[in-house]
Amino acid sequence: MRNKLMPLSKAADLIKDGMLLAVGGNAMHRNPTLFSLELARKPLKDLKVSGAAPGIAADILMATGQADTAYFGFFGLENEAGLAPGMRKAMEGEGKARAVEGS
Amino acid sequence: MINAFRAGAYGVPFLPVGGMWGSDLVDIRPEFFQVMKSPFDGEEVVVVKALVPDYAIIHVQEADIYGNARILGPSYQDALLARAAKKTIITTERIVGTYRMQEEPKLTSIPHFLVEAVVELPGGAKPGICFPEYVKVDWDDHKAYQKAVKAGDVKAFADKMLEGRA
Repeated sequence: MRNKLMPLSKAADLIKDGMLLAVGGNAMHRNPTLFSLELARKPLKDLKVSGAAPGIAADILMATGQADTAYFGFFGLENEAGLAPGMRKAMEGEGKARAVEGS
Repeated sequence: MINAFRAGAYGVPFLPVGGMWGSDLVDIRPEFFQVMKSPFDGEEVVVVKALVPDYAIIHVQEADIYGNARILGPSYQDALLARAAKKTIITTERIVGTYRMQEEPKLTSIPHFLVEAVVELPGGAKPGICFPEYVKVDWDDHKAYQKAVKAGDVKAFADKMLEGRA
């Protein structure tokens, strides 16, 4: 086994333009939110996010416009946190992002 | 979606999926869903294309430096996502000794050989919840996020949330 411990910035450097990401957690629960926020600070583009019930971490990448496609069964934050604002902004109105709903 | 990730994890190009009959999704997304005949008896089945993510990004409560990771609360589909993806990046509330995995091997949700990077990131799911470490949404930060989305200024929100972290 190899030591894979690294700083957040170095792990975020593994993500490149156009990659398909599976984002863990569910709605507001155990999402890799700070990792997504680190990606939000980078000039990444054409990402695709996926998950059965992606939540706030995937929403961040839709909000910044870095992700242009989402594969999901359900995409929201649930309860008082409500709908996923970044995803809605990316897909509604002038939004160009693509939704691939898988039920 | 689950069967799309399963197909990715099993290394097959697609999988049959039950329960899609009657859904408009089958017609709307032919690049994701197709209908085919079973080669065994000609029965029609809906099939879904495999998803093989470049990376799965999973936040967990405990991991060792090699990438063995334990999810202590609900696991959702995360073990499957890690298996469907080419490689996994783990962010973890804390680093623990490998002896923790050896004590209860069955509790290792994601084994080291699926993992390319481990980041020690306490509070990594904030402003959301990471049971049992923090069990309430941080509403002040969440409202700040919603405002940042509306204002188109998520980068400034990210800078604030990541202040003081490497």
